[in-house]
Amino acid sequence: MQFRLEKRREPSQFMLYATPVAAVALTMIVGAIIFSLIGYDGLGAVREIFLTPLTNAYKWQDLGVKAAPLIIIGVGLSIAYRANVWNIGAEGQYIMGGLAGTGIALLTYGMTGWWVLPLMVLAGVLGGMAYAAIPALLKTRLNVNEILTSLMLTYASVQLIYYLIRAPWKDPMGMGFPQTRLFSEAARLPTIIPGTIVHLGVPIAIVVGLVAWFIMTKSVFGYRMRVVGAAPHAARYGGFSEHKTIWLALLVSGALAGLAGVLEVAGPFQRMVPGFPTNYGFTAIIVAFLGRLNPLGVIIAGIVLAITFVGGEVAQTTIGLPNAATGIFQAMMLFFLLAGDILIKYRVRRVVPQPQAGAA
Amino acid sequence: MDLTLAIIVTVVGASTPILIAALGELVVERSGVLNLGVEGMMLIGAIAGFVVQFHTGNPYLALLSGAAAGTAASLIFGFLTLSLSANQTATGLALTIFGTGFSALAGSSYSARPVTLMQPFLPVEIAAHPIGKVLFGYSFPIYFAFAMVVVIWYFLHKTRAGLILRAVGENDQSAHSIGYSVIGVRYLAVMFGGAMAGIAGACFPLLLTPQWAERMTAGRGWIAVALVVFASWKPFRLLAGAYLFGLVMTMELYAKAGGGVLSVIPSELWAALPYLATIVVLVLISLRRDASTNAPACLGKPFLPTN
Repeated sequence: MQFRLEKRREPSQFMLYATPVAAVALTMIVGAIIFSLIGYDGLGAVREIFLTPLTNAYKWQDLGVKAAPLIIIGVGLSIAYRANVWNIGAEGQYIMGGLAGTGIALLTYGMTGWWVLPLMVLAGVLGGMAYAAIPALLKTRLNVNEILTSLMLTYASVQLIYYLIRAPWKDPMGMGFPQTRLFSEAARLPTIIPGTIVHLGVPIAIVVGLVAWFIMTKSVFGYRMRVVGAAPHAARYGGFSEHKTIWLALLVSGALAGLAGVLEVAGPFQRMVPGFPTNYGFTAIIVAFLGRLNPLGVIIAGIVLAITFVGGEVAQTTIGLPNAATGIFQAMMLFFLLAGDILIKYRVRRVVPQPQAGAA
Repeated sequence: MDLTLAIIVTVVGASTPILIAALGELVVERSGVLNLGVEGMMLIGAIAGFVVQFHTGNPYLALLSGAAAGTAASLIFGFLTLSLSANQTATGLALTIFGTGFSALAGSSYSARPVTLMQPFLPVEIAAHPIGKVLFGYSFPIYFAFAMVVVIWYFLHKTRAGLILRAVGENDQSAHSIGYSVIGVRYLAVMFGGAMAGIAGACFPLLLTPQWAERMTAGRGWIAVALVVFASWKPFRLLAGAYLFGLVMTMELYAKAGGGVLSVIPSELWAALPYLATIVVLVLISLRRDASTNAPACLGKPFLPTN
């Protein structure tokens, strides 16, 4: 029996949204098999990673806190990728957002007032934007590949954290630990549900997703990003400047990554530490693709990836699965999703073998 | 004199893995495929090489295992992008994420366990004199990297197979219409790139730091990708580029040793320097008029036969 691929007249909308679901399901099945084969409790791993965070109500607050940065960054990346602008340095922009917010928090240390947090958020957004402006400038002026520049800037930004918290920003009471002092009350993100760790960043993430969905589907900006990505030639005829689109894509995705960074440092961390780069910026790439570059899909995908993070920690304590397993599950999801992409444009047909005509 | 020697030896060590990985990626890109998974394949090669070196103590077997593991990883990429026409950029990123996770998982029980570094390739008597040491005192991968520069240049420009590979990268439809298997050629190129990235990864525990550390390649795979652009897809320029980067990466050592103004620069800036230098190099190369014209015409585009 043989199979053949046949081009569809139009891309399948059903497959567009069915394949991410199938990718998650396949990851669970294949993941269970592979982890059993290499000597772990495969079924247990899948149960703890994918189901426990949902069934255990005590874990829901962790889900919200982990999903928030993934959604905020993922929404920005989905907008950029729509326009075929490959910003993969969101981690660096997230770091710069966190550092800019930290700068304000340290500058206003000991002060009180409602204005401290909004000022930090503004600094964070601008920090992320400024860092994304570098690849935008180099891409539009000199046609330098934005993938490489944005990624190299990420590695550099990690070193900037190490420098700042080792020398100028070091906590004077920190007993030599490389970290800043704990932010004062006014610079900490409030929790919105008393008694939990759910902070203001969680509703902000949902709002960011909804607003982005509205803008991408209902505005000229959204139309521009979609057209430039899907049909660059048509976009040029339509008068959409390619350079302006590149700038917009990088500034928006950088701003959102910076926002996620400042919310993260003001929320869960409340100080800058060497462990601040948590790879949210890289995981958000998976979130953007799994959400089909659609802000509403990104909200769901952000929650799915947050489940694997929280579940990965659960599996570490309950069945002793190394934390690195989470990354493998996440990468598998993306592999299956990319493999399934072909079903959007093609359908699989069974080829009936033709009887051999006129032997002898 | 001793310092100069030490510098040369360090630079050679730092340059070699980047050069090997970049040579593999150069061949891949010449066939029209952009594999951004070099960093991930290097990490998989690094852990494979480490584990084999740890258990057998045979560095040549370790290098071979690195090559095999890198090839296996590259086949995931090949299947998705070549057989299923998946987006090459996204698949390469996925491979890097996978390689990071896979190597961390495989290496989780090997932390803080040392292995022995690879010994010099040639008999020690030859390398006894200081000059002899600089020329003949290195381990096998250093000479392998140099040899591969020549081999790949010869293959691409002087052999029929190399011509076919370049044709597939420059004009896949024409190559297809005169009967060459575009997908087949690209599979071979991608596998070669995987093997080279795997060997490059295995060089980290064998040549540089004799232990396993998560993400021990530290972005060198990405620098290798950038170097291919810098070298305008030419093997000998790649050699120059890799050694330039080896120099940048080890600059901290001699700045500290030399004292003076340079020694007050914070070590974090030195650590960030290779990445910043990559950006500078990409900018410089883009200023050249022929910068983009050297790129293989089909780079990164999926092949779908029109007939």
